[in-house]
Amino acid sequence: MKAVVLALATVFMVLTAGLPVPAAAQAAPDVQQQQPADAKPFDQRKLLVPHRNADGTVEVVPFTDDPVLWARGQQQNFHMRMLQAMRDMGNGHGLSAGLALVVLSFIYGVLHAAGPGHGKAVISGWLLATETQLRRGIMVAFLSSIFQALTAIVVVSALLLLVAGAASAVKDAARWMEGASFALIAAVGAYLVWTGVKPLLPRLGIAGGAVPAAAGAAVTATYEGHHFEILTPHASPLPSGHVHGPDCGCGHAHAPEARDVAGDFSWRKAVALAFAIGLRPCTGALLVLVFSYTLGLYWAGVASTFAMAFGTFITIAVVASIAVYGKALAERLAGRRTQGLFWLGTGLRLVAGALIAAFGVVMTLAALQGPVSGG
Amino acid sequence: MAMSKRRGLIATVALAAMAASAPAFAHPHVWTEMRSQLLLDDRGLVVGVRMQWTTDKDYAKLALDGMDSNNDGIYQPEELAQLTAENLSALADYDYFVHFRFNDEKQDHGVASDGIQHYNDKDGRLTLVFTVPLQQPLDPHKGEVSLKIYDPEFYISFDYVAEKPLLISKPLPAGCTAELLPVPSDTAVEETKAMLATKGKDWKPDTEEDYGGMFAQKAVMRCAQ
Repeated sequence: MKAVVLALATVFMVLTAGLPVPAAAQAAPDVQQQQPADAKPFDQRKLLVPHRNADGTVEVVPFTDDPVLWARGQQQNFHMRMLQAMRDMGNGHGLSAGLALVVLSFIYGVLHAAGPGHGKAVISGWLLATETQLRRGIMVAFLSSIFQALTAIVVVSALLLLVAGAASAVKDAARWMEGASFALIAAVGAYLVWTGVKPLLPRLGIAGGAVPAAAGAAVTATYEGHHFEILTPHASPLPSGHVHGPDCGCGHAHAPEARDVAGDFSWRKAVALAFAIGLRPCTGALLVLVFSYTLGLYWAGVASTFAMAFGTFITIAVVASIAVYGKALAERLAGRRTQGLFWLGTGLRLVAGALIAAFGVVMTLAALQGPVSGG
Repeated sequence: MAMSKRRGLIATVALAAMAASAPAFAHPHVWTEMRSQLLLDDRGLVVGVRMQWTTDKDYAKLALDGMDSNNDGIYQPEELAQLTAENLSALADYDYFVHFRFNDEKQDHGVASDGIQHYNDKDGRLTLVFTVPLQQPLDPHKGEVSLKIYDPEFYISFDYVAEKPLLISKPLPAGCTAELLPVPSDTAVEETKAMLATKGKDWKPDTEEDYGGMFAQKAVMRCAQ
C-alpha cells in the first residue's frame, strides 16, 4: 500500500517537474462583457486573438483546461520576452552587448528549462523507468543540451546562408523540427510503456511477452525437423540452444531493437534519447542567433546558444536529481520486498512512459497545429 | 560599402521575419476583409468608427464548431453572442487594432460596444460588427483625422473590401472630404524597404508609428478650414 502511495508521489514529482503550473493563470478581468449566467466555459481556441496582458505577453490558459493551448501560450511568451530583451539591448554595441547577451541567455536557459521542452520530463522519466545511474542521466541531459545548441546553430547558419527565404524558413523549419522531435519523444514514451507491459503479460496469462517465446519455439521446431544430430558433420551434435535453423540470422539479431534497448543502460540508447531531445532546436536559441546576426554579433549568438544550453542543462540536472533521490527514498521506505518492487517498477514504467508519450503527443500537436484556423 | 548595405537589407528581412515569426509560431493568420464607417455626431465631429470584419472560412469553421446550441442548423446571432463577447473582450487587449490619429498624433479610444456577429451560410464566413468610440471627438475642420486598421504583428491580415470600403455615418459637412488612400503600390513598398535598409537599427518613423503602420491603408477625413 505504502509502495503505491510513494510511487504516486514520485510520479507526481515527475509531472510537476516537467510541467510547471503557469505562474499567471489568473482570469482576465472582463470589463465590458457580461456573459449569460448559464454560459459554458468558452473554448479559448475560438478567439480571433488570445487575451494578452498589459506587457504584451499572452495570458496562458491553465494546463488542465487545454494542454495544447497552454503549451502554445508558454512558447509565445517565451519568444516575446526574448524579443523584448533583444530589442532593449539593440542600442548597445560590440563586446558589452555580446557579453550581456551571453549572460542573459544563460539566465534564460536556467529559467526557461522549467518551461515546456528541454527534455526535462523525458530524462527524469527515463531515469526512473530504466533505473539508470544519476550521473548517466546527467550525461544524457548534457549531451541533449549540446545537441540542441548545435541543432540551432546549424539550422540558423544554414538558413542565413539562404537568407532569401529567411522570413518564412526560420519559423517553418523550427516548427517541423519541433514536431519531429516531439514525435520521437512520444515514441520513447510508448516504448517505456511497452517495457512496463511486457513483463506483465505472462503474469496475466496472455500469450504475449511473446516475441522471445515464439522465436524459441520456432528454432526448436526447425531443429527437430532437420535432425541435426544425423546431418551434422561434427562429431557431436550442437546443443539445441545454439543450433541455427534456416530462418535464423546466424549471428544477426532479428530484432536488434527489442534486445538492445531492453537492458538497463546503453550508450546507444542514451545518445538516441539525447538526440531525440536535442533535435528540437530551442526556439529561444533560434531567435538569439538571428538577432545576433542582425546586430553583426553572430559570435555572441553562438556563444549565447551554448550558454543557454548550459543553463538548461543545469536545470535539467537538478530536476533529474530530485526525481532520482525521490525514488531512492521511495524504494528505501518501501523495503526490499521483491513483489512490491516489481509492481513499483512496473507502475513507474507505465506511468512515466505514459506521461512521456502524452507529453510528446501534446507537444507535437502544439508544434504542428500552430495555425488555429488552418491558415 | 556594398557589403554593409547588403547586411542592412538582410537585417531588415530578418527583423521582418522575427516580427512575423514570433507570434506566428503560436498563431494563425486570420484573413479579414473589412469596411470602416466613420461615426459623425450632429456637429460633424468624428466620434468613433464602426467596424465590419468578415473573416475567412477556416476561422468560421473553427469558431462555429459546436455553436449551434439549439441544433436547428442555423447560427443565430443570439447563438453567436458569446463568441462575439469573448472576441471583443480579447480584442480589447489589442486596442481592436484601431489606430486613430489627429494631425498625426495618436488618439485614444474607449471600449467597444454594440458588437454583433452573423454567419453567412452562402460563403461560409462570419462577419463581426462593432463600434469603437474615440475618447475625444475630433474636429475635421481643425485638422486631419486619419484611421488605420492593422495588426503590427501581422497576426491578422486586414484588407479593405473593394466595394464601398469607407462609409460615413452622416452626410459629409460642406467642404469636407473623406477618402481611403490606395494600398501602397509595390514600388512604394520597395522604396520603403530600401529606405529602411539605410536607417540604423534604432531608427523609428517620425510619427512614432510602428513598422506595420507604414504598410497599412489609411482613411483620411479633412475639411476646408
